[in-house]
Amino acid sequence: MRYFWLSLKAIFIKDIVTELRAKQVLPTMIVLGMLIVWVLRMASEAVLQSEAVIGPVALWIAFLFAGLLAQERSFATEQRQDCIYALLLAPVDEGTIYLAKLFVNVVLLCIFEIIIVPVVIVAFRLNINNWPALIGVLLLGNIAISSVGTLFSAIVQLSRARGALLSILVLVILMPMMIPATFALLLVFGAIPPEMTGTGALAFVGTFGSAVGFMIAFDAVFVVACWLLFGFAIKE
Amino acid sequence: MNDMVINVKSVSKAFDTRNVLRDIAIDIDTGQAVLICGINGAGKTTLLRIIAGLLQPDIGSVKLCGYNIQKDPEKAKSQFGMISHKSMVYPELTVLENLSFFATLYGVKDSETHITELLQDVGLSSYKYDTASILSRGLLQRLAIARALVHRPALLLADEPFTGLDAKACHHLITVLKEFTKNDGTIVMTTHDIDIGLQCCNRVVVLDKSNLIFDAKTGDIDKERFLKDYISYARSET
Amino acid sequence: MRKILLFITLVLLLASTWMALTKGRIEGPSANPCSPVRNIIYAHVPSSICSLACFTVLLVTAIGYLATGNESWDHVAAATAEVGLIFATVLNATGMIFSRAEWGPWWTASPRLISSAILWFLYVVYLILRSSLPGSKQRRARVCAVFAIIAFLDVPMVYISARYMQDIHQPSFTFDNPWQRGAFFMGMVSTMLLAAMLIWIKTDVLKIKSRLEAE
Repeated sequence: MRYFWLSLKAIFIKDIVTELRAKQVLPTMIVLGMLIVWVLRMASEAVLQSEAVIGPVALWIAFLFAGLLAQERSFATEQRQDCIYALLLAPVDEGTIYLAKLFVNVVLLCIFEIIIVPVVIVAFRLNINNWPALIGVLLLGNIAISSVGTLFSAIVQLSRARGALLSILVLVILMPMMIPATFALLLVFGAIPPEMTGTGALAFVGTFGSAVGFMIAFDAVFVVACWLLFGFAIKE
Repeated sequence: MNDMVINVKSVSKAFDTRNVLRDIAIDIDTGQAVLICGINGAGKTTLLRIIAGLLQPDIGSVKLCGYNIQKDPEKAKSQFGMISHKSMVYPELTVLENLSFFATLYGVKDSETHITELLQDVGLSSYKYDTASILSRGLLQRLAIARALVHRPALLLADEPFTGLDAKACHHLITVLKEFTKNDGTIVMTTHDIDIGLQCCNRVVVLDKSNLIFDAKTGDIDKERFLKDYISYARSET
Repeated sequence: MRKILLFITLVLLLASTWMALTKGRIEGPSANPCSPVRNIIYAHVPSSICSLACFTVLLVTAIGYLATGNESWDHVAAATAEVGLIFATVLNATGMIFSRAEWGPWWTASPRLISSAILWFLYVVYLILRSSLPGSKQRRARVCAVFAIIAFLDVPMVYISARYMQDIHQPSFTFDNPWQRGAFFMGMVSTMLLAAMLIWIKTDVLKIKSRLEAE
């Protein structure tokens, strides 16, 4: 158990240090996120009173694509100099490698969020009623995006069109998560009046609590499944 | 005490439909330095990767110091270190960080003093705080060896370790490998440079079209003649 | 054996089609009473069941491959995914035709419509993944099995999450006479048989192909 934590920490710190020194994806992620937000902000000018509705959408799209960049990097760094073999040759459980890489991706996305969320709030003139709810929903979405992304990053590592393949794999699996996630953010940003929740406002049915519950279940199912299946995905 | 370090039992492997290894059996004892040679595509690297557990054999089993690499991977993996023509270290990390990272993964207890010793042995002490990306090819290979030996393995697997090294770096590598065998270490190596390989090995194995066709101790054969025969054989095959 | 089964399948298919179009014709109340579009459920519902059943078969083959490493599982998986995609396509196409005729739009965000669309996407992505992985066949089979399991876990997620959308889909359908019920039942059986036959034939084709490559 102690060994598990030590190796988890070692891989985690190694990846964070590598990323901070090489600055491979974090700057690209942030700029991509800002551009996505800006493009959608321009598009929303065309529609009246749409800021509160498009804001959450912009946030999730920026998240998904920035997440893809982080995940692609996950195992691309291991490919250079065949470091992946060094990791596989060490007596570390594959599940530990997965969890360490997952944490790295979650942290990278968190750093990204800290910068992008204020940008979205300013650009779309959003009001936040409930900060803990916002942070909770973003974190749950973050874990969902990273959980499947980290597994698929290992799957596509040898392919030529790595990024393209990774994006379709991740997006198709995340599609169901996006409905309650968007719904939850619409509620947090007050785009749907509280008295209308559960009544079918804006074509959405359900409550904030059930949407968050779904996201928790989604995270739990996919983190566990990916952790168990990772060993099959990484071996040659 | 079992002094058989590697026990390969009737291993076969096919990629898709092409047979790469056919019923290979080989036992290697402590202190042996085995050179696996053969032309391109003979299955040298595949055999080495199966021994290291990076590939699964279709049939057969591999035991390292008595531990089955498929069934008991964690114990078997801590028995050996591996180097190849790629360094397997992170270019962004310093020499010291690379070594302590792998020391943690292998659960080495006294890593600090051991790493200092290792760096002295391979002659990298003065580069301790430099990132691996600025090291030359020769120095990088020294770091790779230090990385492979960080957990004091009894066995060293080397996949084409001489590729891309100049004469001086080759010579240094040979000295380190000889030192390793002198201290009861076992080496299994694949290389094209059979000439250099023979300088540090005491047993030769030749793979031909997925079969093991030759196996002898270098003490029992005429090295010059073997070299000559092998080169003419390799020419006729390619 | 296979020829007989194939013959039975075709006879059943034709019979159910004939029944659906004559005695079993549905003339119930609809936006446009003269339109025959409601009869599309004879093709729509069996395809939806088949495309889901294929996903379950895909899961079984994936687990089978990961547990045994036997290449035959992978052949069945490849065949099942292709057949599943055919039925998912029929499901979505018939659904869209119905939607256009009955409700107006070709597509709208409604639980079952979203679920069927995602099901189709899952099949397509699975097949793209199959065709674009380099490396050995063993690795491809392993990786595809991993994706199939994750995709299977995604299906219930899709069905639950789609419920956050308002539903305009007809939840159930009642039949007025035994002819309709008979046509529907026969359509169901024959479509399932057809799917099974297609998977069987395609698996054999893949097996022969891999044997030819070996020589």
